[in-house]
Amino acid sequence: MAEMWINMGPQHPMTHGLWNLRVKVDGETIVDAEPEVGYLHRGIEKICEGLTYPQIIPIADRLCYGSSLTWSHLYCLTVEDLMDVEVPERAEYIRVMSIEMQRIASHLMWLAAYAGDLGLSVGFTYTMRDREVFVDLLQALTGSRLTYNYPRIGGVAHDLPPDFERDALRAVEYMERRLKEYEDLFEGSKIFMMRNVGIGILRKEDGMNLGVTGPSLRASGVSYDLRKDMPYSVYPEMDFNVAIHKDGDCYARYRVRMDEMWESCRIIRQALRKMPEGRWRIVAPRTAPAETGLGRVEDPRGEAVMYVVGDGSDKPYRLKIRSPIFVTVSAAPKILVGYKLADVVAIMGGLDMCIGENDR
Amino acid sequence: MNLFEFCYGIIHWLVDLVNNLWYRLGDTLPWYFGDFFTAVGDFAASDGHLTFMTILLECIIIILVALINVLNFLWIFRKLSGRILDFYGPYYVGYRIGGWLQNLADGIKLFVKEIIVPKKADRLGYLLAPIIYVGSSLLILSVIPLSENFGLSTNESGEYVTAGALFALAAFSIAPFAILLAGWSSNNKYTLIGGMRSAAQMMSYEIPLILCAASVFLVAGSFNFVDIVDAQHDIWFLIPLFIGFVVFLICLIAEVEIIPFDLPEAEAELVEGWTTEYGGMKFGLFYMTTAIRSYAGGALATAFFLGGWHGPSFIPDEIWFLIKAYIVYTVFMWLTWSVPRVRIDQMLGVGWRRLLPLAVLNLFIAAVLKSGGWI
Amino acid sequence: MSEGDERGRAGVVSIEKAPSRIDEDPGLRVLRAIADSFPEAVSGGTQLKPGVLRVHVERADLYSVCRNLKESLGFEHLTMISAVDYEDRFEIVYHITSYEARLLLELITSTPKDDPSVDSISTIWGGANWQEREAFDLMGVVFRSHPKLERILLPKDVLYHPLRKDFKG
Repeated sequence: MAEMWINMGPQHPMTHGLWNLRVKVDGETIVDAEPEVGYLHRGIEKICEGLTYPQIIPIADRLCYGSSLTWSHLYCLTVEDLMDVEVPERAEYIRVMSIEMQRIASHLMWLAAYAGDLGLSVGFTYTMRDREVFVDLLQALTGSRLTYNYPRIGGVAHDLPPDFERDALRAVEYMERRLKEYEDLFEGSKIFMMRNVGIGILRKEDGMNLGVTGPSLRASGVSYDLRKDMPYSVYPEMDFNVAIHKDGDCYARYRVRMDEMWESCRIIRQALRKMPEGRWRIVAPRTAPAETGLGRVEDPRGEAVMYVVGDGSDKPYRLKIRSPIFVTVSAAPKILVGYKLADVVAIMGGLDMCIGENDR
Repeated sequence: MNLFEFCYGIIHWLVDLVNNLWYRLGDTLPWYFGDFFTAVGDFAASDGHLTFMTILLECIIIILVALINVLNFLWIFRKLSGRILDFYGPYYVGYRIGGWLQNLADGIKLFVKEIIVPKKADRLGYLLAPIIYVGSSLLILSVIPLSENFGLSTNESGEYVTAGALFALAAFSIAPFAILLAGWSSNNKYTLIGGMRSAAQMMSYEIPLILCAASVFLVAGSFNFVDIVDAQHDIWFLIPLFIGFVVFLICLIAEVEIIPFDLPEAEAELVEGWTTEYGGMKFGLFYMTTAIRSYAGGALATAFFLGGWHGPSFIPDEIWFLIKAYIVYTVFMWLTWSVPRVRIDQMLGVGWRRLLPLAVLNLFIAAVLKSGGWI
Repeated sequence: MSEGDERGRAGVVSIEKAPSRIDEDPGLRVLRAIADSFPEAVSGGTQLKPGVLRVHVERADLYSVCRNLKESLGFEHLTMISAVDYEDRFEIVYHITSYEARLLLELITSTPKDDPSVDSISTIWGGANWQEREAFDLMGVVFRSHPKLERILLPKDVLYHPLRKDFKG
């Protein structure tokens, strides 16, 4: 067969969203690849310029359906940096706990999608079922299930609901049992290992050069986790390890995410234990000075950054969002070339695409 | 009474019933009309015609039984997937019988859909492919007897198609042509790749499959299903030819194209593979044919290795056969839901490097057993 | 708010009047190294808070400064490129990270309104490729010698750059 271009997308089961991966195949082998994004561009950065600071929080939620709490948290961090607002300590702990729950939920959704991509139906349904536990917890905490609108500039919207601590600890225990089961289910499957080990190798230098962040970079052996390296919020108080793997293949990316879920369980426990009493929200100013603010968090998908420019009014002059997956997907051709067509699914699934934040 | 005698009786009764009318007309009408009706009656009652009608009726019965089995299979497929994947499965349509009617409802839905042919598709091939696929799959079922008395035969002796097993395997391997035709004529890159994959996969898994079947033929000394099953009266071939059984099952999974070997329709990378451009009942035919082929595969494995219809006699032979075929199918489904999909090169590697030597080894064992007279 | 003043003071002290010994603070050390290598190109180096630095750079020298950052100072990761449309200028802000030193450098360069163009740094950091395309797409900043400067988020036939302040719906 001669070489030909195949459009995988915009409507394609592999893409998990609305984007297009054009691959050039020679038979079944990929010789070139070219991602095309922008189908879901909503102009969020422009929308934000017309909204007041608190109004943007729900918009920031809409950036990613998988981890919306992380994004609204990031937005609040950024504006607090701009306005020099000190957040009460209890609010910081609640935030850390809730974004770790969100991280677990996001990774579980990734795992479900990944299993579905590889054709492992049982992996899809089981992980989605257990994601529900954390979505329910977040619903009890925030009141909604997908776009939470929970953090506020200067704290969080409300305190923990009654008995939340008990439920959360139970959920964490349940999750740790389940994680063992998943590891058996996935790694115990010879076919899963055949599809993952040695597939889609991203070398350390390439990952660093191409700006890949998050689990994909840590799977290549670079220890770069903002929670540890440039801590924000109360992460310095927490005792956890950064999950690293050396191989840089799909299995390494899977392994890093699984390890992160274990670590997130630990962080949730510690946050619940160390959470002080006190206020959970302070009144933040309505207007911001004519300066710039910067917030960086470790999103489940990588390094998420917001850069906000204030102009003295109650609306941001400019809000720039750095989406981790936007940069990571630009590295896709580097990872894809040389593998088989069926590996596209494993490789792109392993990067954990989220088009909402990618196209903004 | 076997199926032929049963059908012959029905046809005979029907022809007698109608011939009453013809002969009475022949008696009452004037001679030039009367002779005509008498001739019609004579023709209907002639031996060749009765046999022909009997065989037609047999075919209809066999296909009806097969299709009801297919409905059962699809129902098992859905219910079992529900049990394994933690959901209910079909539930409301046919509430009292566990949602059994859901597949009928789906079939009706597919029937009332519009038949769409893509503009750039090759019209003839596009429409012909599902027909070949379904037809060849039903052909397999036509020669598989459910018991000594329930099978397609042409006379009262109950002797079925002489080389029935060979015919079934031959019909089994028509499918790649239909798939390649479907993939090519749809004029779509996904379908083309799916068709190519399917052809490669089926070709390479056909060989171990037929080698395993050959070991069975060798041991049984016949191509006839009845003889093969009778040869297992003392011991099922499962036990002496265990390697062959395992290889045969793996190859069947590949031939039926279900996960882990559903690469031609790997939905994650090829959308729906070679069925991407098919909609409505044309897709329904493909979907149904997967179940037909699963049934045929289960039936072949039952007849070749699991002792066919042999079993304690408190259950009828036909039911024994179906129970075994259902169990094989259930194992397929169990596997389908709990493992991921392999890659095409890995799959072909397994086929050529592992299964083919094992199949040859199995054939060797069969030859040794047969020549030693132990079986 | 007094933070701006503090930032200004910190800049003055740390770069221009600091003693000539090797600084203890890694951030200040990096600032000094940049200022020493490019005395004309770089101005206003400040440490906003521990681990976050800010440097203004002339746009003509952007490429060489970035090269130097990557090759000598260990800034291996380009985090973000943001373009901001002020009334009198475009500012292009590069956030550059060093894994080992745990530093974030905010490199600001500005271009006049009538000629929004800077050198592309996508040959230094491959991760800059798409971010520069995005800045070009939404803000209309031209990155010279970029390998493929096309629109990325908007369709290819769009005539405007929506994040500019003069764009009204």
